[in-house]
Amino acid sequence: MSNLTYSQVDRDILQAMKAPGWRYYVVFFANLLVLLWGIFAWQYTVQRGLGVWGLTHPVMWAMDITNFVFWVGIAHSGTLISAILYLFRVRWRASVYRTAEAVTVFALLTAGLFPLIHLGRPWFFYWLLPYPQVGGLWVNFRSPLIWDVFAVMTYMIISVLFFFTGLVPDVAVVRNRTTGWRHHLYAFLAQGWQGTDRQWRHYKAAYLFLAALATPLVVSVHSVVSWDFAQSIVAGWHSTIFAPYFVAGAIHSGLAMVITLLIPLRRIFRLDTYLTQTHLENLAKLIILTGLIVGYAYVVETYIAWYSNNVPEWQRFVYQVTGEYAVPFWIMILFNSLVPLLFFVKRIRTSTPWLLGISILINIGMWCERFVIIVTGLAHEYDPYSWGLFIPTWVDISITLGAFAWFFFWFLLFAKLLPVISIVEVKEELPPPMKSTGSEA
Amino acid sequence: MEVNRRDFLKIIGIGGATAAMAGCGAQPPESLIPYVVPPEEIIPGEATWYATVCRECPAGCGMLVKTMEGRAIKVEGNPDHPVNRGRLCARGQASLQGLYNPDRIRQPLRKGTDGSWGPTSWEEGEKALAARLAELKGRRGRVALVTPLVTGSLDRLIDEWLRAVGGGSRLRYEAVSHEPLREANRLAFGVAAVPFYDLEQAELILSFGADFLETWLSPVEHARQFGAMRTYRDGRMGRFTYIGPRLSLTGANADEWIAVRPGTEGVLALGMIHAILAEGLATALPASEEAALRRLVEGWTPAETAEQAGISPDKVRVLARAFARSRPSLAVADGKTSNGTDICLATTLLNYVAGNVGRTVRFGPTAAAGRTSPYREMRTLLQSMEKGEVSLVLLAGVNPAFTLPEGERFRKALEKVPLVVSFASFPDETAMASHLILPDHTFLEGWSDIEPWDGIQGLQQPTMRPLYETKALGDVLLSVARRMGLEQQLPWEDFPAYLKDQWKGLHRHSGPAEDFETFWARALQQGGLFRSVPLRPVRPNPEVFRHRFEAPRFAGESEGLTLIPYPSPIFYDGRTANRPWLQELPDALTQIVWDNWIDMHPADAKRLGVSEGELLRVQSPLGTLELPAHLSGGVRLGTAAVAVGQGHSAFGRYAEGRGANPLPLLPAEPETASGGQPWIATRVLVTRTGRRHLLASTTGSDRPHDRGIIQTVPLAEVQRLREPEKHPHLLQMYPEHSHPKHRWGMTIDLNACIGCGACVTACYAENNIPVMGKVQVAKGREMSWIRVQRVDEGAPDYPEHRFLPMLCQQCDNAPCESVCPVYATYHNQEGLNVQVYNRCVGTRYCSNNCPYKVRRFNWFMAEWPEPLHLQLNPDVTVRSMGVMEKCTFCVQRIQGGKLQAKVEGRAVRDGEIVPACAQTCPTRAIVFGDLKDLDSEVSRRSKDPRRYRVLEYLNTQPAITYLKKITAGPVEG
Repeated sequence: MSNLTYSQVDRDILQAMKAPGWRYYVVFFANLLVLLWGIFAWQYTVQRGLGVWGLTHPVMWAMDITNFVFWVGIAHSGTLISAILYLFRVRWRASVYRTAEAVTVFALLTAGLFPLIHLGRPWFFYWLLPYPQVGGLWVNFRSPLIWDVFAVMTYMIISVLFFFTGLVPDVAVVRNRTTGWRHHLYAFLAQGWQGTDRQWRHYKAAYLFLAALATPLVVSVHSVVSWDFAQSIVAGWHSTIFAPYFVAGAIHSGLAMVITLLIPLRRIFRLDTYLTQTHLENLAKLIILTGLIVGYAYVVETYIAWYSNNVPEWQRFVYQVTGEYAVPFWIMILFNSLVPLLFFVKRIRTSTPWLLGISILINIGMWCERFVIIVTGLAHEYDPYSWGLFIPTWVDISITLGAFAWFFFWFLLFAKLLPVISIVEVKEELPPPMKSTGSEA
Repeated sequence: MEVNRRDFLKIIGIGGATAAMAGCGAQPPESLIPYVVPPEEIIPGEATWYATVCRECPAGCGMLVKTMEGRAIKVEGNPDHPVNRGRLCARGQASLQGLYNPDRIRQPLRKGTDGSWGPTSWEEGEKALAARLAELKGRRGRVALVTPLVTGSLDRLIDEWLRAVGGGSRLRYEAVSHEPLREANRLAFGVAAVPFYDLEQAELILSFGADFLETWLSPVEHARQFGAMRTYRDGRMGRFTYIGPRLSLTGANADEWIAVRPGTEGVLALGMIHAILAEGLATALPASEEAALRRLVEGWTPAETAEQAGISPDKVRVLARAFARSRPSLAVADGKTSNGTDICLATTLLNYVAGNVGRTVRFGPTAAAGRTSPYREMRTLLQSMEKGEVSLVLLAGVNPAFTLPEGERFRKALEKVPLVVSFASFPDETAMASHLILPDHTFLEGWSDIEPWDGIQGLQQPTMRPLYETKALGDVLLSVARRMGLEQQLPWEDFPAYLKDQWKGLHRHSGPAEDFETFWARALQQGGLFRSVPLRPVRPNPEVFRHRFEAPRFAGESEGLTLIPYPSPIFYDGRTANRPWLQELPDALTQIVWDNWIDMHPADAKRLGVSEGELLRVQSPLGTLELPAHLSGGVRLGTAAVAVGQGHSAFGRYAEGRGANPLPLLPAEPETASGGQPWIATRVLVTRTGRRHLLASTTGSDRPHDRGIIQTVPLAEVQRLREPEKHPHLLQMYPEHSHPKHRWGMTIDLNACIGCGACVTACYAENNIPVMGKVQVAKGREMSWIRVQRVDEGAPDYPEHRFLPMLCQQCDNAPCESVCPVYATYHNQEGLNVQVYNRCVGTRYCSNNCPYKVRRFNWFMAEWPEPLHLQLNPDVTVRSMGVMEKCTFCVQRIQGGKLQAKVEGRAVRDGEIVPACAQTCPTRAIVFGDLKDLDSEVSRRSKDPRRYRVLEYLNTQPAITYLKKITAGPVEG
C-alpha cells in the first residue's frame, strides 16, 4: 500500500462510486422485491393479528426477537472496529472501519424495526417512550424493555453521529468532484469542510470524543439487550453470564458479517490494494477470540444448569440439546465455537473462500443461537402442562427475509453513494507526497 | 367482536322496549316474577335474576338466570334447589349457547316435494298437523309421539292431548337411560324405580361402572355429595373404588381402579356377597334370607369370580370385608352390557347384604330417570314405521336418528311415514328427516315444571322473550286441539294456563295457609316446590333368590377389541355438541378438544402397530367408522373406548363433521331382561389406515416432570402434617405491597376437585372469552382464563390422573408486572394483579415471564357469530386484537359486591362476592374471599396444614393457596 499516491487513492476509492452497471440494478431490484414482500407480510400481520405468526401460548417471542437480537449484535462490530480500535491506535482498521460502521448503522436500522413489528398493537409504539401525557401515564423503568428503548436509541444516535463525522473529510473530496444533486448532497454532508488546520483540529477532537463515547456502548447496549432475558425468571434466560456472553456473541457475529460483506466488496470494486489479506486475517484473528469466549459461555451455561441442581433449569438444558430444537442448537455449537477454531490455521484464515464460507456459517450460527435461547427457554418453562412448540409460518419467514433485504437495501445504496473506504485515513498511512498533486485533504 | 356503540345502543333499546312493553308482540304478555327485584324496577345496567330449571339433561338442576336489558347473559345454580344447591356442570353453564345458537331453527319450516326446506307460518303448520290428526282420529295406533323424559305438567298434558286427539303411542326416550337399574330393583324389591343414592353418607363407595360424576343420574348432585363424602375429618375420609374396564373421569377420582373384564362387574359383586356371607359379616340379615342368599351365590366363590373378572381372588375378599365393615357403604352400578340387569341386581343385593338399603339406598324419593320408556319400545316403533303402520310421528326434543344404534334405519323408516312433525330447536339429524318443523322454545324461553325426584317440583319460567318465531310444545298441542274442536277436553288457552291450573292442585294439597297467588309467586321465586318424601321400606322379593345370573354376550369376532362407547361428559348423548364452549372445553382425561377418538391400551396398540393420532378403521359386524387412536392405559387390555356425542352429520356448524358416532356399530337387540339398550355389546376389529389425524390437545406434557405443581399427601400422613416450612425472608429491593382494606384470595382444595371443567365454562360465560376453534387450540391459542390441568402420575397401564385448576395466581411479587414497559399490568390496593387492556401494547413479555402461564394473548379479533354476541356480559370488556388478558378474579363481581355493601352502608360479607368459577364448582373446591378478614372461609382454609402454593420457591407470593390432594390407595379389609 505504501507505494500509492494520494491521487491514486482518490481515484481508486472513488471509482467504486461511478454509475452502476446492470448487474447492480438486477441485484438492487431483486433485493427490493424481497423487501416489498416482507413489508406485505408485516402489513398482513397488522391487519389480521399476530396469530398469523407461528407464536403460541408459551412461546410468545420467537423469530421477531431473534431478529432483533441478531441485528443488534451485527451492529456491534462496527463500533468495535471504529471506536475501540481507534482508541488503541490499531492501524489496520483504516481500510475496514467505514464499511464496519455502515454495517452498524444499517443493522441498527433493521434491529430497531423489530421492537415495533413484534408489538400486538404496533400503532401504539410511542407508548414505550416517556413523553408528557395529559393522563399522567408514564413508562415502567423497571422493565428491561424500557432500558432497551434507551440503549438502542442511544446507540443509534451515537453511531449515526460517528458515521457521519468520520465521513466529513471524505465527502468533501467527493463534493469537489460531483455536480448536480449529488453535489448538493455531498455539500450538505461535508458541512462546509475546507481542510483547514482549525477544522482538522476540531475534527480530530470530535472524532476522539465520539470514539470515547461509543466505546462503552459496545459493552452496554448488548448487555442491556441480554437483560431482556436475564432479568426474567424463565429458566434458561435467568442467568448472570448473559451480559458478557451476549456482548462477545454480538462482536462475533458482527465481525463475521463485516467479513461477509468486505470480501465481495473488495472483489467487485477492485480494492485489493486497500483491503489486503492482512486486514481480513486480522479480523479472523479477532473472531478466534470471540469464538472462544462464546464457546466458554456455552460450557459455563451447561455446567451451571447441572450444578444449580435446579430441575426446570436442567430439564430445559436437556430439552435444548435433545428436543425439537436440537438441530439449531447443534448448528449453534458447531458454527459459533468449533468452526471458527479453524482460523488457528494460517492457511485457512488467509484463504478468501474459507474466510467467506466460515463467516457465513458464523452468521447462521449466531442467528440460531438467539433463536435457541429465546425459543427453547419459553417452550419448556415451569409448568409442563403449558409446554408448547413454535413452528414458523410463511409470515415469520417473510418478515425475517424482508429484514435482510432492508439491511442490504441500505448497504447497496451505501456502496454506490459513499466512499466505502476512508480516504483520509488511508492517506494517513501513506508517506506524505513530496509535491502537491492538487488533491485536497 | 362486533359490538360497537351502535349495536350496544340497539341492544339497550330492545331491552328497554322489552321491559316497557312487558313482553308485547307475537307472544301473549306474561308477568315474570324475578328472583330479587320486582319487575317494574328493571334498571338498565342492573341484572334481573330468574329462577328456572336446567334442561340440558334429565337431572333437573335448579338454575338462576342473570338477565340484563332483556337478555339472558349468565346461568348459575339455584342455591335453594335441593338437587344442585347452587352449582351447575359445564353443560348447564353452556345452555346459553343453545339459546343463542346461530344455527337455531328460527321459524316453522316445511319440506318441499323436492326435499328442500322452506319457511311456513304457524297457522299453516298447525293446520296441517290438525288436519292430519283429524283424518287419523279413531284409527288406533296410527300416531306416535316421542319426547325425551318429560315430567310434571307437560307430561300430563301430552298424555291428555294424545287421548283427546284419538290416542297413539307415547314414548319417553332417553339414549342415556337406566332400564337395567329399574328392572333390577323390580326384581329385588318389587319396585320398578330408581332409588335415591346417598353418596354423602357412605364411608365407602364402590362404583360398578356408574359414572356418577359425569352422566349417571344426577351428576351435579352426586358431585356435591361426593365432595362432602371425601372431606377429610379427624384422620378419616370417605373411600371410593371404581370397578370397570374403562377408567372414566369418575374412576379417575377413585382411590383405586379395578379393571375387570367388561360385563363381569356383577360377577365381582356376587363374589363379594359370597365372601361377606362366608365371613359372617352380614350381621343385619334375617336367617332365612341369609340362607337363600347363600344358595344364590353358591357357585360364585371369590376364586371363581376373580377368575371370570380377571382380577386376584384376594381383591374380592378385601373389597368384601371393607364394604361390609364400612357402615354405611354404597354400591352403585350402571348395566351397560347385555347382562346389565344382572350387574345392577348383583350390586343391589350387595347393598342389601351390607345393610345399605334404607340408609344410602333409599326408596320413597325415586328418580324420574326410572320412568323412561324402555329402548325396546323405540325398536317396536321403528319396526311399525317400516311396516307402514304409522301415519303420523311427532318428535319433540329427541334425536333418535343419531342416538339409536339403528339411527340410519330409523331415518329411512321415517320416510315411510306420511307425516313426520318435529318440534326441534336445532336442525339435527332427526329434524332434517321430518316433513314439518314446528320449532319449540329453548328452555330459557318457555314455561314448564320438572320433577327429577319425587317431591321436587322445579318451576321453569321464561327468562327472556323468545328470540325467534318459536312456540312452546304445550302451546302448539293446545292450539292444535282447538283447531280440531277439542276445547271441551282441553279448555286451556295456552300451556302456562294449564301449568298454573296444575299448580292450583298442588296448592290445595299443600294446605291453604296462603292464597294461591302468594304460593305461586313464592314457588317462582325460589324455583319450585321442594318437599321431603317419606322413606319407603322395602323387602326382598323371594323370587330374587332364585335368579339366574347370565354372562355378557358380545357380537363380533372374538379376537377383536371389546368396544366401550360411553356418553361424553361434555356432550352427554350428543345433544350439546353444537355449543362452541363445550367443543372447546378439554376432555378431562385427555385434554383433547373439538374431536373424538378411540382409546386403546398401549399394549394393544403395539400389537397392532398403531401409533398416537393414527386414523383407524373400526369395524363391528354392523358397521365401520374411522377414528384417530389415542393411546391410554385407562382402558383394560383388549378393550377400546369411544365417547358418544360427536359425529353429527347435521346439527349446525359447530357439531357437523367432527369425529364419528360409535353407536351405529352396536347390535340393536335390546337387553332381554330390562328392554334397555346394551352399549358395551360388540367387539370391533381395528385396522390401520396409515393416515394421520390432528388431535388438538391443550396439554403440553402429561407427566409431572418433578415440578411439584400438583402435590399430594397420603391419608395416613395428613394428621402428621406440620406447618409448611417458611421460606427464608428474601431481601427485597422494593417495599411490600400494602393492602389497606381487602386482600382478595382464593383456596383450591385439590382433594375436592374432580376435574369436571364446570369452572372453565362458567368463566367463558362470565368473562366474554372467545372460542378459537380446533386449529388454533392445536397451536396453543385457547383463551381460557382458568384451565383444569391434568397430570398422569401413574404407571403406563394404571394411570393416576390428578387435576389442578390453574388460573392467574394474583401474585404479590408478580413477575408479569415488573416487565411490562407501559404499566398495563400492575398490583392494585386489593391485591389484584390488574390488566389494563387499553394500555396494553402487546409486547407479550408478561406472558413469557409468567411461570404459571395463565396469560392469554388476543392473536386475532375475536368473533361471536350472531346471535351469540347477545350473551356477552356488558360488565366485562370485549378485548381487541393484540392485547393480553387473564383472570381478573371476576373484578366486575368484586366491584358489584363492594358497591352493594356501600349502598347498604355495611362491610362486605364473607361469601357475598363469588367469582364465576367458585360459584359453579360442584364440589366447592374453590373458595374465594378476603384474606384480610381473618374469619373468612378463605382465611381459614388457607391455614390448613395441607396448604401449598404452586412454584413457591420462585417467591412470587401467589394469592391462591392450594390444598394437597389426599391419596388413600386401595381399601384394606
